[in-house]
Amino acid sequence: MSGGYRFPSDEPLARQVRFTFNERELVGLEGEPIAAALLANGVRTIRHDDSTGEPRGVYCGIGHCFECRAQVDGVNGVRTCLTPLREGTRVASVAQWDVAKK
Amino acid sequence: MNDACDVAVVGAGPAGLVAAIEAARAGLSVTVVDEFPWPGGRLLGQLYTDPRSHGRWDGRKISRQLAQEAGELGVRILGGATVWAVGRDLSLELSGVPVGTLRPQALLLATGAAERALPVPGWTKPGVVCVGAAQTFTNVHHVAIGRRVLVAGIDPLALSVAMEMHHAGVDVAGVVLPPVSTTSGALASPERAVARLADVADLAPNGLLRAAARLAAGKLSPLAVSALRFDLVRVGGVSIGFRTALVAVEGDGRVESATLRSVAPDGTLVGPERRIEVDAVCISAGLYPLTDLAEIAGCPMVEVEELGGLVPLHGPGLETPLERLFVAGNLTGIEGAKVAIAQGRQAGCSIARSLGRATLVSPEDAARAVSDARTSSPFRFQPRIAAGRAAMAELWQQAIARGDQSA
Ligand SMILES: Cc1cc2nc3c(=O)[nH]c(=O)nc-3n(C[C@H](O)[C@H](O)[C@H](O)COP(=O)(O)OP(=O)(O)OC[C@H]3O[C@@H](n4cnc5c(N)ncnc54)[C@H](O)[C@@H]3O)c2cc1C
Ligand code: FES
Repeated sequence: MSGGYRFPSDEPLARQVRFTFNERELVGLEGEPIAAALLANGVRTIRHDDSTGEPRGVYCGIGHCFECRAQVDGVNGVRTCLTPLREGTRVASVAQWDVAKK
Repeated sequence: MNDACDVAVVGAGPAGLVAAIEAARAGLSVTVVDEFPWPGGRLLGQLYTDPRSHGRWDGRKISRQLAQEAGELGVRILGGATVWAVGRDLSLELSGVPVGTLRPQALLLATGAAERALPVPGWTKPGVVCVGAAQTFTNVHHVAIGRRVLVAGIDPLALSVAMEMHHAGVDVAGVVLPPVSTTSGALASPERAVARLADVADLAPNGLLRAAARLAAGKLSPLAVSALRFDLVRVGGVSIGFRTALVAVEGDGRVESATLRSVAPDGTLVGPERRIEVDAVCISAGLYPLTDLAEIAGCPMVEVEELGGLVPLHGPGLETPLERLFVAGNLTGIEGAKVAIAQGRQAGCSIARSLGRATLVSPEDAARAVSDARTSSPFRFQPRIAAGRAAMAELWQQAIARGDQSA
């Protein structure tokens, strides 16, 4: 899997926390945006487009485009580039029609 | 939670934070709202050496200092809060925080800028990002957007971000022109890209940009570009393709390669396509003021191309035709952070005076500081910004003459 990675840093890193993406266990840094934690784990595709099924991921990185939305702790349509990661955060790619079915 | 305050500020970028500090100094209670969890706005991603002061411009540090200063003056900063509506009474509807509505006496909109999209075949694939995302991930989150990255955009921001990624250890496969399109007009052709760079040659804040700009100002005059046989210029370890444009991005479910083509000096695509392997592409197509809230508030909008497009009509003190509604920063025109800071100070003073408070800084001094910041700014996004500011002053005078102004 290709994707991003974390730069080495001379600053002290934030605490490591565990979280899940589509039920897969991953490790990220507390307080970083979920999108950054996903990318540092090599995860690029955050969801699939509702109508075309094409994969989608971060585009603007600052809250404007809504491409990075996911279900976070049960809440749909959350922008992962703006939402800080916490211990135990559950992230899932949910298509709109899945939500409608439930 | 308490929803009343003297002043509400939307946007904790440099303009909003400095305005909040100034208003608080005048004795007003101020609440700043921003949807990003941390204060600083686009300042957070900025990291370079300022050629004028020879000092390091560390946006994260400056953001922290401004937020701290604001906090010490009693300013309340609500992070992670999105403003989705502005009432005619200047009330703000918030989501993401327990406070539902804010009811200020005066409102400052400092919502900043957004990036223009520049569709190219394959641009929705995971791994294609805006240059701002690359800047934020590299400098703020310290996560690489890819292992081998193509930057599409030969403008001050794109070159800075290319350099920052290169320094951070990302393999920057090259910097080329953005996909040729009618919407990016000003950036797309080699002639225009070179002219834009030559324009910032004396200001450029980092090595790559400085070198590229000097090259553009000297060797690569528009005439020279047409004679340019070689396509790639190597500057500071990064290749710049002044005569190459991105035409498509390919890959199965993620970016695997990018297709490039040569362009004639006027921007016409020529010659065969060639493909390079990359796992991320970063597109820079220019910035435009983020005006949604100003429009919702009912502020009259005007189109001033030199300022970056549609902007709220505003006066010399950053007041708008709506009573006690003020605007500052990139919302009023695309400029660098130093200008946003000076505008924030000016707006803070104007707000304080509109609520009957005295300020230490006089309106004239505040206005002068803005023009000083403009001349000394290491970043110039809009080549004819001064003309744009003059056009706005003219439009404001006309509005007053028509009697539009209520303040
Ligand atoms: C991608 C990008 C990169 C840039 N890079 C540079 C650079 O390297 N150097 C430079 O000098 N200038 C740069 N700029 C220009 C930059 O905008 C200015 O330097 C400066 O940050 C502008 O300050 P501001 O306060 O006007 O807006 P910003 O710093 O953009 O702050 C605006 C804030 O408003 C918030 N906001 C907007 N709408 C809402 C809403 N509805 N609800 C809640 N909050 C909201 C945003 O989250 C943001 O934090 C860049 C701009 C962009 C868009
Ligand atoms: S990437 Fe654009 S909103 Fe998150």
